[in-house]
Amino acid sequence: MNFNFLHRFGKIFYLITGFTLFLVGLILDVISKNVGPVFAQVDLIKIGAFVPFYFYIQSYWKRESVPLKRLTAILILGTIVLGISLLLTVAIGIEFEFKASSLIPNNYSTIFISNALAVIIGVAAILFILLLRDILIYKPRRYTKRNFIILVLALLATTFSAINLNPYESRLVTTILFGIFVLLILINSFRMPWIVFLKKREKVLTIVFTFSTLVIFTALILIYQNNSAAGKSILYFSHSLKYFIDGVFLLILLYSLIAFLSTIFHLPTSDTFDRKMSEVASLHNLSKLVTQVLDFNELVESVTSMTLQVCEAKSSWLEIIQPSDKLRNLKSEQSNISVAAQKNISVQDINRINLSSPITLRSSVINDRKPVMIDDFKSDSRTKHLNGLDTKIGSILAVPLIARNELVGILYATMEAEYGFDREDLELISAFADQAAVAVDNSRLIEKSFERERLMREMNLAQEMQKRLLPQTLPSIEHIEFEAFSSPAFEVGGDYYDFMMIDDKHLAIVIGDVSGKGVSAAFYMAEMKGIFQSLCKIYPSPKDFLIKANQAISSSIDKRTFISLIYAVLNLETGLLTSARAGHCPFILAKESDVSFVRPNGIGLGMGNSELFAKYIQESQTHLNSGDTLIFYTDGITEAHTKEGDEFGYSRLLDAIKNNRNKSAIDIRDAIISSVNEYMQNQPPHDDLTLIILKWLRN
Amino acid sequence: MTNFKINFRENSDVQIIDLKGYLDAHTAPEFENAIQQIINNKQYKIIVNCKNLSYISSAGLGVFMAYIEEVRKNKGDIKITNASPKIYNVFDILGFPMLYEITKTEEDALKKFSRRI
Repeated sequence: MNFNFLHRFGKIFYLITGFTLFLVGLILDVISKNVGPVFAQVDLIKIGAFVPFYFYIQSYWKRESVPLKRLTAILILGTIVLGISLLLTVAIGIEFEFKASSLIPNNYSTIFISNALAVIIGVAAILFILLLRDILIYKPRRYTKRNFIILVLALLATTFSAINLNPYESRLVTTILFGIFVLLILINSFRMPWIVFLKKREKVLTIVFTFSTLVIFTALILIYQNNSAAGKSILYFSHSLKYFIDGVFLLILLYSLIAFLSTIFHLPTSDTFDRKMSEVASLHNLSKLVTQVLDFNELVESVTSMTLQVCEAKSSWLEIIQPSDKLRNLKSEQSNISVAAQKNISVQDINRINLSSPITLRSSVINDRKPVMIDDFKSDSRTKHLNGLDTKIGSILAVPLIARNELVGILYATMEAEYGFDREDLELISAFADQAAVAVDNSRLIEKSFERERLMREMNLAQEMQKRLLPQTLPSIEHIEFEAFSSPAFEVGGDYYDFMMIDDKHLAIVIGDVSGKGVSAAFYMAEMKGIFQSLCKIYPSPKDFLIKANQAISSSIDKRTFISLIYAVLNLETGLLTSARAGHCPFILAKESDVSFVRPNGIGLGMGNSELFAKYIQESQTHLNSGDTLIFYTDGITEAHTKEGDEFGYSRLLDAIKNNRNKSAIDIRDAIISSVNEYMQNQPPHDDLTLIILKWLRN
Repeated sequence: MTNFKINFRENSDVQIIDLKGYLDAHTAPEFENAIQQIINNKQYKIIVNCKNLSYISSAGLGVFMAYIEEVRKNKGDIKITNASPKIYNVFDILGFPMLYEITKTEEDALKKFSRRI
């Protein structure tokens, strides 16, 4: 046998036991009518029959947490009980004779009816208690359950103290216990927190239900008076049961009376309560919203629609203030403000409200950073000129959104009635605005961090691109020492250099600097590299090359951007160096006799007029002897500066070369770099540094 | 170090901009705004006085290039005066003297403006 079967069998066992005891009681009643009392403790059997019934009911009982539903059940059950009682006692009719201080039934039908009635009423009374228990222990406090158990115990004590008591007699102990029970009813009945939480409609329903319950149970008490037919039936069955059902009826009556009265008292405040509840719910929703800040538009839409909910406003809108750009004029927050979302009001109306006079709601909120409430829109000096708006406005409220001491926006709400907003509305919308401000602020921070990440990626990309644009290997020529050094600054700069063999005996060298930084600089570098590689073989003359390069680059370059460049061609057999300079730092020629700048005229590439460029550009020629060194560089070297802003300059560069010119190319390179670093006191460079050293070793 | 200031003056119909401090990529937009404002007011005769300019980067040089075309189209000019040797050298290396009028003093520049009319 499994457990489930046992369980089910147990329940049936309760039922069987209950009915058996009830039948025994009935048989004893029939016998005593014919023979006279045979068994003194018949009362115990009769009352005892209800104990298994109770356990049977209890085994199927499920607690219900909505008090109103239980109240309905009590009402329905009460009506049924009332109907049955009337039917059995009035329609069929029962007769008793009062003899020797006990009730003697006149016929057998009276015995049957009163027994049936007693069982029905007794079981119903148990159900009433269980139903009421669910109502009473709604939202229990510390002593709630305990108080209820004491109440039931008092009722049971009353019932059992009246065992074997004759009808119409009384016992002192029973009367005292019943008195205590009534007192306990009062204590328990004043606990009805469930009424407060009802919506207005539910409260009205509760009033109707409790009043009906009141009527039904008054009727029941009247029907079950000691002298009525129904009362006699129960008294005949058992005086104890009479006490029990009287107690239960009284309990329900008093409870429904008190519930009825207190619901009536709560009715006037129920609107306020309903509103408070929806306010709490809205605030709760908004605090959830704070975490949903990825979609800014969704956020501002929710803020405005919740404002309508929170204070039952007619219309609402939210203005957002963009953080002021520090490079632009810091003039006013007014110019950075825009309507982010609106409900039940047009943008035209909003603009009229905000722009029609020098002192507006918006400007007062911006200046004072405090909420502004206008109770009478039509007569207030700030708004009375605003007639003919599409939206009917009686009163208006504007609250600042402040996050981390910054005004991030303004939230508005309007009502059709004058004096529509009270102090609570103001407090509530202010609290609401605080939440909204945090959400808006968070949303912006997230956006900013996305933007920063994007810039970082862009910069990495540009750095990678720049690295690839520079030659990966240096030309290897027997009688020339080559050294190159390039160090990009933290931000990507536009330094560029390259080499190319034009033919068997001519080497082209290019060094340049694109103005600007980042991706655009890397882009122009790439373009320059393309131009270099395609034009250097077509135009062997540096001057021609630069003129063509200028034409090519001018068509695509931004007006503000230019490229400085030196283009040199070295004849590897004769040592003849032909060079031209387009606005780039002059290169240095270190000879045995002298160290000097080579500075032919020339304008930077992309600086405009192609004719002027062609007109002014010059070519320079020089012959290299053994030991002669060429030093090409970018302005990152000469403009390297100390913390105080003093630049390394041309003369220090010249000195560094003079002192080291007889060394190898690599040593000259290192000498220059260490000289620059020493001068800068190891500060990080603020611009790219590029250096090319070329030492000619043939006569 | 990012001390940069712009001052506006007017001499008859010539707008004079005094630059002071470091004109680099961070401060160039201010300089650009200044010239833009002058052009918005339909003034095209501009002198940029570099007496107190201590540094100019390629971004600063780019500002001159951004507006010279428009200014000259409207029969005006941007003239540069009072550059220190160091600043002048920056202009010179890039070839500015071939494209812009760079004078030693403001008076010279003003004279050149009045002569042209």
